[in-house]
Amino acid sequence: MLKINNLHVAVGDNKVLNGLDLEIPTGEVHAIMGPNGSGKSTLAHVLAGRPGYEVTAGSVTFDGRDLLALEPEERAHEGVFLGFQYPVEIPGVNNVYLLKAALNAARKHRGLPEVDAFEFLSLVREKMQLMRMDESFLSRGVNEGFSGGEKKRNEILQMLVLEPRLAVLDETDSGLDIDALKVVANGVNTLRSPERSVVLVTHYQRLLDYVVPDHVHVLVRGKIARSGDRTLALDLEKRGYDWVTEEAA
Amino acid sequence: MSAALATRIAEDFAATAHASGDLQRQRAMQALTERGLPTSRDENWKYVNLRPLEKVRFAPPPGGPQSPVTTQDLPAPIAQYARYTFVDGVFAPNLSAPTQHAGVLVKSIKAIGPISPHPLSTPDLRFALLNEAFATDGAQILVEPGTDCQACLELVFVATTEAKVGASYPRVSLQVGARARVGLIERHVSIGSDANFINCAVDVSVARDASVQHYRVQQAGARAIWFDTLTARLAENAKYQLHSASLGALSARSTVHVQLAGERSEVGLFSVSVGGKNQVHDTFALVEHIAANARTEQSFRGICAGRARVAFNGKIIVRKGAHGTDSRQSLRGLLAGDDAEIDVRPQLEIYTDDVRCNHGATAGKLDDNMLFYLLSRGLDRETAQRLLKWAFLEDVVAKIEVPELRRQIEQSLAGQLNEAALKELL
Repeated sequence: MLKINNLHVAVGDNKVLNGLDLEIPTGEVHAIMGPNGSGKSTLAHVLAGRPGYEVTAGSVTFDGRDLLALEPEERAHEGVFLGFQYPVEIPGVNNVYLLKAALNAARKHRGLPEVDAFEFLSLVREKMQLMRMDESFLSRGVNEGFSGGEKKRNEILQMLVLEPRLAVLDETDSGLDIDALKVVANGVNTLRSPERSVVLVTHYQRLLDYVVPDHVHVLVRGKIARSGDRTLALDLEKRGYDWVTEEAA
Repeated sequence: MSAALATRIAEDFAATAHASGDLQRQRAMQALTERGLPTSRDENWKYVNLRPLEKVRFAPPPGGPQSPVTTQDLPAPIAQYARYTFVDGVFAPNLSAPTQHAGVLVKSIKAIGPISPHPLSTPDLRFALLNEAFATDGAQILVEPGTDCQACLELVFVATTEAKVGASYPRVSLQVGARARVGLIERHVSIGSDANFINCAVDVSVARDASVQHYRVQQAGARAIWFDTLTARLAENAKYQLHSASLGALSARSTVHVQLAGERSEVGLFSVSVGGKNQVHDTFALVEHIAANARTEQSFRGICAGRARVAFNGKIIVRKGAHGTDSRQSLRGLLAGDDAEIDVRPQLEIYTDDVRCNHGATAGKLDDNMLFYLLSRGLDRETAQRLLKWAFLEDVVAKIEVPELRRQIEQSLAGQLNEAALKELL
């Protein structure tokens, strides 16, 4: 589904990704781990098309199409979803409106009519129940005054409503207590299917206890330094990142 | 004031019936002549453009209103609010539905007789003198102490006459007795001609423990010139909230002067302004803290597109003895075009200790992080930008407590922002 080839990315003068290779087949969950500053969030943002990241070499294809040539909204239409590490607050735009506009944008792209108001509300209610979110969230401004945990749950709610084919979740587990972590993990697991892939960007292995990945990759200085199955994450938990960093050097 | 303009105003005044009989009007005219009109060299009038006045006839239209107005032409009424309509500054009983509320007296100034002078006179309020010299009618509203009329009155001022034929002088005096509660809606629209000259003067006085919600919607015609002066005085523990939406006119200037004369009085000034094409919207809002422990909350949100210019100058003066003053200013401007100009300016003058004055002012473009967030959810760029412009205004618009009026203003804002897509959101 996703093929990243020799990807080099700079932010200003700073080279953040230095020849990253990664392939995510359809239906798999991959975890990307790594120390601070290794380029994990940059990778997530580049996949979603955030401005300010300059791709200096390499390619990214999504179902054979050049992903980097697409605008952020086009990537979303193709089924790419970024779960933000720090979701922005947008007072004045309410959650329900954003969900509806986003869902309709995706439907329009697929040649479907706008979602029926009644169906939409029952869909959103069902997903909110899963995410243990109160209905009052709907009428509030996007992420406005939300706690860290509420923001993350809101990201997963959006993901569940939009049903992306590739979800890239950037440190969705950070700042969550254990109960919230389980709710978020449950949301991600609901999305797992043979047609969808998930990239979990994370520091810690504890999320991976609940969302068991098919593969784990360690990013060091902008390159994949090591790949393995979920036992790699457990190793990292015990031994820290230093040994991988040293090996990579 | 340019000598030619001064002469023309004096000539137009001399030709009116008041020139010989009405002493108060003559005094106003004389004061205006002595003081002169402001120029862009006056600090508080930097953005004013007096050029359009050169083609204006200052006297009211000689034969009365030029365009017949029917109820259908007017904005949809708001439930429970009694309506008083004025056409070119003159009360139109056939377009009005007077109040039956006990304790609320509304009179046509024409019926009362000689005009009473504007209670405040400073150089910045000189356009009120112009109104005083020429106004032919207006509303005098007396609210008796203890009256509770929160959904109370709506004043609709309609301008129908071309500026070169005659001017429109809306005039309002609102006096609210102790402990009373009043809601007032004031609208300005153009019908027939969209190229009017409107000069509006409003004075509000709020007695102790009384509270006033005042909504103003300026939707004058696309080529109209709109000058406005609003003064307010608050007694002890009085509350006054002024919500303004500035949408219309080619050139609009509003001058506001609020005096917090009583202890623990509170004023809220909430303004939104949306300018496009070559519109100029300029507001100067002065709050004077005279008594102790009074509060001011001032919020402005302006969006400027095309080649428009939107300016908001919010000044707070804390006089000696006004200790315990608490004032907050949040002035924000959004540039939505490369040729547009936004000027937001908070000013503080403090002559006492023990005050708390917060102010924040920003002028800029849409937030990139917000924009990217919406794009990443699949919204197209245009929709995302519209939505963010909307959101920018919404926190001030949300303070409008009359749902029907709020919806009407939101619809107008959406129209002004050219937002078919936004209508869905309302």
